[in-house]
Amino acid sequence: MNPELKALYRDTLLKHSREPKNKSVLKDVDAYFELKNPLCGDLITLYLKVSQKMVSKATFEAQCCSICMASASMLTEQITQSDIEEGVDFADSLIESLLQPGISIATLENEDIQSLAGVKSFPSRIRCATLPWEAFKGAVSRLR
Amino acid sequence: MTDRPTPPPIPEALKKARDDFPILKREVNGKPLIYLDNAASTQKPQSVIDAITQYYAYENSNIHRGVHLLSTEATAAYENARTKLAAYLNANDESEIVFTRGATESINLVAHSFLAPLVSAGDEILISHMEHHANIVPWQLLCERTGAVLKVAPIFDNGDLDTDAYLSLMGPRTKLAAIVHVSNAIGTVNPIERIIEAAKDRGIHTLIDSAQSIQHMKLDVQALDCDFLVFSAHKMFMPTGIGGLYGKRAKLDSMRPYQGGGDMIAHVSFDGTTYKEPPYRFEAGTPHIAGGIGISAGIDYIESIGRDLIHDYETQLIDYAANRLKSTAGVRLIGEPSHRSGAISFVMDSAHAHDIGTILDTEGIAVRSGHHCCEPLMKRFGISATARASIALYNNHEDIDALVESLGRVHQLFG
Ligand SMILES: Cc1ncc(COP(=O)(O)O)c(C=O)c1O
Repeated sequence: MNPELKALYRDTLLKHSREPKNKSVLKDVDAYFELKNPLCGDLITLYLKVSQKMVSKATFEAQCCSICMASASMLTEQITQSDIEEGVDFADSLIESLLQPGISIATLENEDIQSLAGVKSFPSRIRCATLPWEAFKGAVSRLR
Repeated sequence: MTDRPTPPPIPEALKKARDDFPILKREVNGKPLIYLDNAASTQKPQSVIDAITQYYAYENSNIHRGVHLLSTEATAAYENARTKLAAYLNANDESEIVFTRGATESINLVAHSFLAPLVSAGDEILISHMEHHANIVPWQLLCERTGAVLKVAPIFDNGDLDTDAYLSLMGPRTKLAAIVHVSNAIGTVNPIERIIEAAKDRGIHTLIDSAQSIQHMKLDVQALDCDFLVFSAHKMFMPTGIGGLYGKRAKLDSMRPYQGGGDMIAHVSFDGTTYKEPPYRFEAGTPHIAGGIGISAGIDYIESIGRDLIHDYETQLIDYAANRLKSTAGVRLIGEPSHRSGAISFVMDSAHAHDIGTILDTEGIAVRSGHHCCEPLMKRFGISATARASIALYNNHEDIDALVESLGRVHQLFG
C-alpha cells in the first residue's frame, strides 16, 4: 500500500472507526450541535452533559466517513471528565495543527488523536477530521 | 471468478480515442490516470484545445460589434457553433439555441423569464425525486416568490421513476413538468417521451435536463417535442463556462429578457428600450466566445465518431461495469434501474464513500464520492453519500477491471 495511505488509515484510527466509543443519542442534554460538511454530506450531531464546568458525558451520532467517525470517537474520550474550556483549547490546537502544514500534532498529549495526523497529506480529508471538533465548539457556544 | 462477464469489444472508431485526450496520458499519484468521473466533467480532446488556442492566438476579437475583419470572423465562428448545436439536436431553427453558462443557468433562465410571469399562488411545478439540485432550487426560489407549489414524483427502490405517479401528479394547475433525462447520481434513463406526450395532452409545458444524456445518445428535440432542453458543454468534451438552452421559438418569443445589457437590445433610450429577437434577447453582454468555438470543435469530434456508435458501446460498457461491481465482495449498488446510462453509484458496508474515493485516488482512479448534488435522492435511499463511477467514450473494460481490483483492496483494508 502507498505509504501515505498507510499513515492515513492507521490501526488506531481504523479501530475507532469500526468500534466508535460513545456513539449514541443522548437525552436530556445541556447542549447539542449538528454540523454538516456541505461538500460531501457528512453529518454529525454532538451531545453534551455538563456539571460544574466539566463535561460529564459526551456522545455523538453521525453519518460519515471513517476519519470523521474515528475523530468523533476520540473526541468524546478526550473531553469527558475534563474542563469545558480546556476542551475548547484542545479543539483549537488540534484544528490548527491539522490545518497548518508547519505545526505538528505530536504536541497534543493523546496518542490516539495523534493518529489523525495522516490527513495532512490528504487536503480534501482534513475537514473530515476537524468536523467533530467544530461541532463540539458549537455545542459549547450554546452553553454560554 | 467464474461468472465474470464478457468485456465489450472496443469498436474500431474508438480504439484510438484515448490518444485524442492528452490528459489521459498523465499520471496521478505515480499511476496512470483512470478517469471515471465523467458525469462531473469530461476531458477535452486535443482538437477542442487547439481550436480555443487558435482563437486566442490568431482570431481573438469581440463579436456582434466591430466591422473589422477579426470581429466579423469571430462572429461567424461563434454563430457557427449555434448552427452546429441546432443540427446536433435537430432543432427547427438555430434561433432556438440560447447560449448560457450551462445547464444551471438555463434552468434559472426558464424559471425567471418563462415561468415566473405564468404562475400565481397555488399553481404547480412538477419534478421528480431524482433531480439534480439545479432542477430543484430554481423552482423552490420561484415558489417562494410566487406562492406556487413544487410537486415531487416518487421513485421506486430500484431507482426507476414511478412514471404513473409522475403522470398522475399532472393536474389542472400544473404549469411545468421538469425532469432529468438521465440521473447523474444513479444512471437511470427516464421515459421522457411518455412524459412529454402526457404533458402536451394536458397543456403543460416541459423542460428536459439533458446534462447527462446529450453526450451519450442522439437527441431529437423535434421528435421529442419538448418545450425546453438544457445542457452544459463541459460534460460533452467542450469548455467549462458555456452551455445552452434549447427552447421552441414560439416560447422564446413570448419570454421577457433574462439579464439586461449590451447585445440583447434592439434600441435603447431613456424613454424605453426594445429588445432583440431570440436568442439574442437572452444573451446580454460579451459571451464566452472561445467557449462557442470549443463547442464547434467538440461537436465535430463527437460526430466524427458517431453518436449511435458511442451509445451502443457505452451501453455495453456500463452494463459490464454494473455486472462486475454487483459481484464484487462488499459492494452494494445504489439504484439498479431498468435502463442505465453513464453512471453507477455504489456503497460498501465496510468503507464510506469518502474512504473509497481516497484509496482509489492513490491508485490513480478518479471517481466521485459524495451526494452528487442530489441530496433528496440520497435521503430516499437512506444514505448520505455514494461512490460513483461514470464513463465516457474513451473508457474501456480495463478501467472497470482496475476499479474492481482496487475495491477488492478497499474491502481488505476495511472489511
Ligand atoms: C443532471 C444534471 N443537471 C444539471 C447539472 C448542472 O450542470 P452545471 O453545473 O454544468 O450547470 C448537472 C451537473 O452535474 C447534472 O448532472
